[in-house]
Amino acid sequence: MPEKSRSNLLLGLACIVFSLVVVFIWIPLDTDSGIIEKVRRRLTIGDAMAPSIAGLFILIGGFVLITFERNTRKQPNIMASNFKFIIRTLSILFLSLLIMRYSGPFLVAAVNMTLIEPLEYRLLRDTIPWKHIGYFIGGVVLIAGLIAQVESRLSVVSVGVAILATIILILIYDFPFDDLLLPPNGDV
Amino acid sequence: MGVLDYIWLGITAVFQGPELFDFFGIPISITLVMIFCGFLLGIVVGATPGLAGPVAMAISLPILISAFGYSPDALLPVLGFLIGIMKGATVGGAVPAILFNTPGTPDAYLTTLDGYPMAQKGKAKKALRVAHFSSVSGDTFSDLVLFVCAPFLAIIVESYLDLPEKTALLILSLSFIAAVVGGSPAKGLVSAGLGLLAVYIGTGEDFYPRLSMGTQELSRGFPIATAVLGVLIIGAVFKGLEELWIENRSKGTIQQNYQSGDQQLRTKDIRQLAPYIARSAVIGTAIGALPGIGSTLAATLGYTVAKRRYDINKTDDMPNFGDGAPEGIAATEAANSSVSGANLIPVLSLGIPGNAAAVFLILAADSIGGFNPGPAVFKFTPDIINPELVIAFGLFTTMFLANILNWTIGGIFMRSMGVMIHIPKQFLLPVVLLLTLTAIYVQETRMEAILFALGFGVLGFFMRSLSISPLPFVIAFILGGKLEDSARQAFSASGNDPFFLFTSPVAAVFMAISVGVIIFMTNKSNDVI
Repeated sequence: MPEKSRSNLLLGLACIVFSLVVVFIWIPLDTDSGIIEKVRRRLTIGDAMAPSIAGLFILIGGFVLITFERNTRKQPNIMASNFKFIIRTLSILFLSLLIMRYSGPFLVAAVNMTLIEPLEYRLLRDTIPWKHIGYFIGGVVLIAGLIAQVESRLSVVSVGVAILATIILILIYDFPFDDLLLPPNGDV
Repeated sequence: MGVLDYIWLGITAVFQGPELFDFFGIPISITLVMIFCGFLLGIVVGATPGLAGPVAMAISLPILISAFGYSPDALLPVLGFLIGIMKGATVGGAVPAILFNTPGTPDAYLTTLDGYPMAQKGKAKKALRVAHFSSVSGDTFSDLVLFVCAPFLAIIVESYLDLPEKTALLILSLSFIAAVVGGSPAKGLVSAGLGLLAVYIGTGEDFYPRLSMGTQELSRGFPIATAVLGVLIIGAVFKGLEELWIENRSKGTIQQNYQSGDQQLRTKDIRQLAPYIARSAVIGTAIGALPGIGSTLAATLGYTVAKRRYDINKTDDMPNFGDGAPEGIAATEAANSSVSGANLIPVLSLGIPGNAAAVFLILAADSIGGFNPGPAVFKFTPDIINPELVIAFGLFTTMFLANILNWTIGGIFMRSMGVMIHIPKQFLLPVVLLLTLTAIYVQETRMEAILFALGFGVLGFFMRSLSISPLPFVIAFILGGKLEDSARQAFSASGNDPFFLFTSPVAAVFMAISVGVIIFMTNKSNDVI
């Protein structure tokens, strides 16, 4: 006989604890007005009311989970593999975003070593090829990295797909529109 | 200005809008071209396993807004394109289900039950024709109901519902969506609660942005695109990648089916299928008109009702349901397609989105401005023109035109889309992820927005891992601000009565139903959407 899943019970308890923390700790400490406020001798709804209702939704959901839905069939569990996958995926994403953010300024700094008058990335961020460097390298790392994770190997095909897809995205988003800024050019 | 004048203005707004080119001297408006392009894109996306209409809508929205700007002239081309995608993706979804037994969406799963056996018996083209005919018939019926019902419903809402009733109606919608989407009311409530909590961060009326933890990043709140695209699209991409990662790619080869016998859809076939299509169209439309229920339940109900009927009338030479009965495809496709039009009834008449496609229509209207879905849209002002009503009738016209495209070229284009199955998902999903992150960045132009979106993506991933539907989250995020505003106004208008939701009979009934629907649905279980 398969072991009964306790996923709904644990999720319900987690929701109840979270909602109590939200309603009794986070909202009172991080909101200026209460649930009901008296302003110029008139009662008004304060800023704490709406998030408290949100907390109430989560609390009721948690309560129903641990009482009425505790023994329902098909209770999926969160496994260690879920965490392993998401941590690996986020690592690839953060690495590619870091590359996307800093490779343009880094290349400008590298080029500056050969120049008498130094360039400034901020002034170049709307000119080709500078404005595409960060997005291109970061985008290729992102796509190829995720494909490599799924396939457990880095293949020439996946890098080719990543290069082609990133170029197509640049063509779609950047070339037809003067007012759109590709990442990271709005931040640098 | 009478009703007919408004209808005529809506039609002319579509046909006589800004001209893109002329065809033998006939000016072709940009809206017509956008409907056409959106429709073709929708079929391609629907036919691609791993993609769906909302993904294409999410990604095209910033491009469309950048191309057309924020003027009211942009509304019809942008919304026309999105409606084209919605319609195209609905018919396109049947292609991988029938040809390769790989349903792209949960509602297409039931299409595989009879579609794939038909394809195995060499009747793939016929199965696709049945799916297309049934889907378009159901969709057209549903659109007709939308055109007739939405204005009347809006007028009733405006005449009978005051602020407390509208607040109670919003609570009822949230409770309804939480209770019926995904099959677990408790998980639906948690999802809706998280959506409300997220939208209230960094907002409010006080000088200090509430729940911002004193940080600059949270003090501006979460941009709507980061929450909606993060939970809905990025979460789905993460989940899809994880499934591929666990399977490490299926090594199976795609079976080629060879075709034989009559592949045409004859008048006799249509006559035989018509009762099944009609029944399912009514079921799908009725279900679609209620916010949040969605096409999966409609397809299941349509299929079950049709099976019962079929078993009574079946002769020995007819295949069983599940063994390649065209009636099974017809019942499923008509039911799930008839949801899409009717789902716009709560959107246009109440401003409450009922499904993911409607969320993007509301986002587009919000971003461009000049059209706020809700009862005010349908005010028939006799002296001055109500521009929102003209847009509403323009939208109906775009839906009709998309249906005409569906009836004419949709079938041919759909049948040529079998090739999309060959795109490996492990290549497609990372590209969709970069596409989505880019779409978010070009709207917000700060890396912070990408980080927020990834955070919501992780939330969406774990919600899917725990079978918590992300749709209540998204709809609560969209309705949260409106709910708070209307509650504040209702409280003030009722003379600070703390029981303002229970003093009017209509509001009290809505609140009772809100609780009732949660209690009623608690013991039901279904698959997550």
